[in-house]
Amino acid sequence: MGVFDNLMLGLDQGLSEFFAQWNAYSTALVTLLVLVISYRLVTHKEPDVHPLLLARQAQSSPVRQEGESPVYRAHGVPHGMALNSGLNIKDTGASKWSWGRDGDLRDIWRRAVAGTPEEAGKPSGTKGRLLTAHGPKIEAHSLDDITRQINLLGRYLHDQGGIRVAIYLPNSIELLATLFACCFYPNLIPILIPFGVKEDELVSMLRRSAADTVVTAPGAFPFNVVVESYPALRQLVWVADEGNRHMDWNEVPQGMGGSVNVATWQDIVQEAPVAAGTELPPAAGQQEAQDIIIFWQGKPGSVDEMVRFSQNNLVSAVAAQLAAVPAAQRLGPSDLFLPADSLTNVYTLALTLTALYSNASLALTSVAGKSADLILATQGVAPTVVVASPETLLNVHQESSRKLSSVPAKLSHWLRTRSLVENGVMPTSSATSGYHPAVGTSPKKLRLVYTAERARAGSPALSSQVLSDLRVCLGARVVYALTAAEVAGAVAQTGYYDYRLQPETGSYSHFGAPVTSTEVILRDTPDLKSTDEQYQGEIVVRGPSVVGNEAALGVNGKILEDNTLAYV
Amino acid sequence: MDYVEQRMAQEAAKAASANDAVRTPLNVLLLGALLYTTYSLYFRRSSPATLPREPPATVFRTFNPHTLLPYSGANGGPVYLAVRGRVFDVSAGRNFYGPEGPYANFAGRDASRGLACGSFDESMLTKDLDGPLDTLSDLGPEEMEALRGWEERFESKYIVVGRLVPVGEEGK
Repeated sequence: MGVFDNLMLGLDQGLSEFFAQWNAYSTALVTLLVLVISYRLVTHKEPDVHPLLLARQAQSSPVRQEGESPVYRAHGVPHGMALNSGLNIKDTGASKWSWGRDGDLRDIWRRAVAGTPEEAGKPSGTKGRLLTAHGPKIEAHSLDDITRQINLLGRYLHDQGGIRVAIYLPNSIELLATLFACCFYPNLIPILIPFGVKEDELVSMLRRSAADTVVTAPGAFPFNVVVESYPALRQLVWVADEGNRHMDWNEVPQGMGGSVNVATWQDIVQEAPVAAGTELPPAAGQQEAQDIIIFWQGKPGSVDEMVRFSQNNLVSAVAAQLAAVPAAQRLGPSDLFLPADSLTNVYTLALTLTALYSNASLALTSVAGKSADLILATQGVAPTVVVASPETLLNVHQESSRKLSSVPAKLSHWLRTRSLVENGVMPTSSATSGYHPAVGTSPKKLRLVYTAERARAGSPALSSQVLSDLRVCLGARVVYALTAAEVAGAVAQTGYYDYRLQPETGSYSHFGAPVTSTEVILRDTPDLKSTDEQYQGEIVVRGPSVVGNEAALGVNGKILEDNTLAYV
Repeated sequence: MDYVEQRMAQEAAKAASANDAVRTPLNVLLLGALLYTTYSLYFRRSSPATLPREPPATVFRTFNPHTLLPYSGANGGPVYLAVRGRVFDVSAGRNFYGPEGPYANFAGRDASRGLACGSFDESMLTKDLDGPLDTLSDLGPEEMEALRGWEERFESKYIVVGRLVPVGEEGK
């Protein structure tokens, strides 16, 4: 045992000598080590969503047809279950456990007027507000007043015998009121025409949709040109703003438009008695609501496509958007929703209806459009949720990239990007928010930005890096959706908590998993074939939010490792 | 105790030297530990979590009795059986339908008659693989009812991977 004794003695002596070297520097180093570890323990935050949930975001069918890929669906609607087709509206008096009906736009407005429904732990009857932003000046509207306008306009249009009502207005309360008026009163088909198109395009759209009534703003509508080229026009309703109200719009200039009956919105609303029109038509025994015609703006220079959506298409798109946001983050009465893109875009319209249904406050501004400036569109309000076009967001990105020229700004940006991408944690606003774009009066409140890639319409590409930078500089989650002409709402949408940076997706970031109202298949084209290793082909969408239940989008896509959809 | 006394005497005998050197082995070790901890806690890039790739989806095929026959679970392959023209992948029920199972007669064959009559006999299977499929026209309503029950169970448990047509009708 002598060897062992000597070994232990040697070890003991060695260790003692080693630690006898302890001095002030050693203490300092150990203190630093303890500080580093405890800082990490104190400030570490769990990722917003479990990373494995992002590793597979859609469910594929176990069997695929020859020449096609498997069918991909969101996890919320597994194969074998019906897709999300409606709002599950329960009429009063129905049992809590009964399956409600799909509903239509009228139920959305009824819910907006009635306030939040009965729910455990939350106050019921909270209503959102409706605001219009005229530059920095904000005008609030009461929901009852809007209901009255809806009723009076709907009754007027119905009595005048109009069937197809074209709405050529910028984002405004009157646009929404006319849309709902056409839904509440029978035999009225609303036609949403993109605002600010050229005269000949406007005439062509009126002709193709066979509109006999137009609700529009004076100054924006080329009255004489339209009346000459489109004699089928019967009724015109001017929406005069405050600057124009003193003029008499009922007079038609001599020599033109004798067959057109002209009225103004203010006259229709003010000439009726105050008590008239306060009650919406009852829900019991109502007729089926009519379809809605929307024009899809394609590539510049191409003819706009006319798409006829049924109420079911729109309502299932709204239901899918309601289901896309996690329950803890849903839109509610404390949110202010601002569409910075035109409401004639069906994705923006679906999201606006979602906000109304969730009893969120809604702010409308006429500055909104495809190339709107986000700062201008949001001045005077503090939105929490915004819908913007890719052009708008690219401008925001370029502006903020220019501002990020100093070293502390770059460092802050890098740190926040790391927190976002590596740890999956949304960075809270920091001291360097001076470098960030001032969206609205209170930029810290912005929590969600929606944007959509329009298939075959020449939208600019938003890459994964751009989306990540936007998340960091806006301090909000950014959701990127794929939309198409024949689909109400989105075809596919990135996950609410998906902050990953994926440079391998190329110039267009991936579009996430299909929403709960669509399922996606990739069909073989002569160039792209699906194999067991890689599924690719032309994107074909099916579901209740697709016109005709199935549509081929005319663009090629592929499925990535995490079952998300991306362009090829 | 002897040992302890001896060691303590040894240590006390050492001259107490003022040790202010920065670069002692202990400090080097502590510095290394500090740098490694800082790197691994704050600067290491974690690769995103991935799940293994899903198995590729089965391609829906049109079978005739000859091409269906190999899928009886032989050599560890999949087990298919056909009920009223639909081919089900019953590999999950290999204990029943695979080789050595009680219903192994059904594997790779048209099992409609056998399920309707509740028998696993050889006589329930169509003998002539080149001929038309079993039309089940001579079966009574109870047997058809039993067959429907079996079909519903199959639909809920197994996936349909193809359809069965007689030889020569694959094009239709």
